[in-house]
Amino acid sequence: MGPQASAQDSLRPLHISIGRVPISLSIPTPNLREKALTRYREFTADSEGGFPVVLRSDAQSDARPARNDPNFCYVLDDASLRLDSSGAEFHGVRHEYALDSLIRILLTMVLLPQRGFLLHAATVVRDGRAYVFMGRSGAGKSTVASLSPAGTVLTDEISLLRFSDDCWQAYGTPFWGEFRAAGQNEHYPIAGVYTLVQSTQDRVEGLTTKEMIRALLPCVLFFNSKVESNEDLLRLLLGFVEQVPCHLLHFRRNDGFWKVVAA
Amino acid sequence: MNPFPERNPRVAWREIDGETVIISPADSQVHELNETASLMWANADGKHSVDEIAGVIAARYEVELREAKADVDELIEVLSAKGLLQASKSAEVPVGA
Repeated sequence: MGPQASAQDSLRPLHISIGRVPISLSIPTPNLREKALTRYREFTADSEGGFPVVLRSDAQSDARPARNDPNFCYVLDDASLRLDSSGAEFHGVRHEYALDSLIRILLTMVLLPQRGFLLHAATVVRDGRAYVFMGRSGAGKSTVASLSPAGTVLTDEISLLRFSDDCWQAYGTPFWGEFRAAGQNEHYPIAGVYTLVQSTQDRVEGLTTKEMIRALLPCVLFFNSKVESNEDLLRLLLGFVEQVPCHLLHFRRNDGFWKVVAA
Repeated sequence: MNPFPERNPRVAWREIDGETVIISPADSQVHELNETASLMWANADGKHSVDEIAGVIAARYEVELREAKADVDELIEVLSAKGLLQASKSAEVPVGA
């Protein structure tokens, strides 16, 4: 492929789909586009018509949102995101890490009205159902994932959960720990959510609605400061907790926990 | 102290099993209220006076009005300091403050 063809390629949007959210990324920088292609290779989509996202190399000078700005703006270090109903612009994205972070933020916004959210959690598939292991950094998500058979892990870091096809489902994401490019673009009905507690024994404990909301909130990725959106989030999480079994999982650092989880 | 306590309209909240979870979007903080505080919160609508709210709590928990009033005063002080209650109708906590 000659340089001219390569330049033309860089002008074409990169179509991806994460959690059934189609996104069309216009990345004018060939190097960054190439890295995005590698990172999201399992999530590329054939169809056009995804939510348009245009990357601009300039840092937006007025990126800080005005108080009554109806659009959503978010500043992340040198990069920023500006979102309205017609699409999004990413400004000042100089590397794939910033791109990845802004895509996560965008997803949290797009998913909320579609009954979905991102969660700090590893998801493992067993017998056709998704087991979601939730916790902040150091809780044991990567440990649980590493103790699960190869090919069964949808993500070891950020899970995408959304209500679709009449039930709550966990979707694979490209968001893995240590920025590994992995993940499978698949989804499975959720068997249960387990809040991770490292322990000297393997034991499952039920949680009340209130306890689960308390456990969920710090693990949900959410960047919107609008009151209405936060009310929507609370409503969504309450609906989630009412429909999905939620537990506390005390576990040792070996695969014995499956005996109590999938008992 | 505002004689008619009023929830800050810039917070999101839900009552769950008789207790209240509040999200303060401006600083992404989550707050939880126990049953008594939740009863006070539910009545902090800018229409009920401190005395009326204390009366509701005294009746519900069968405690002396004076004791309930002291609890409500303390709650108002704590919740106001956290920006969850409005100091007065005209003094709102700005987003991003």
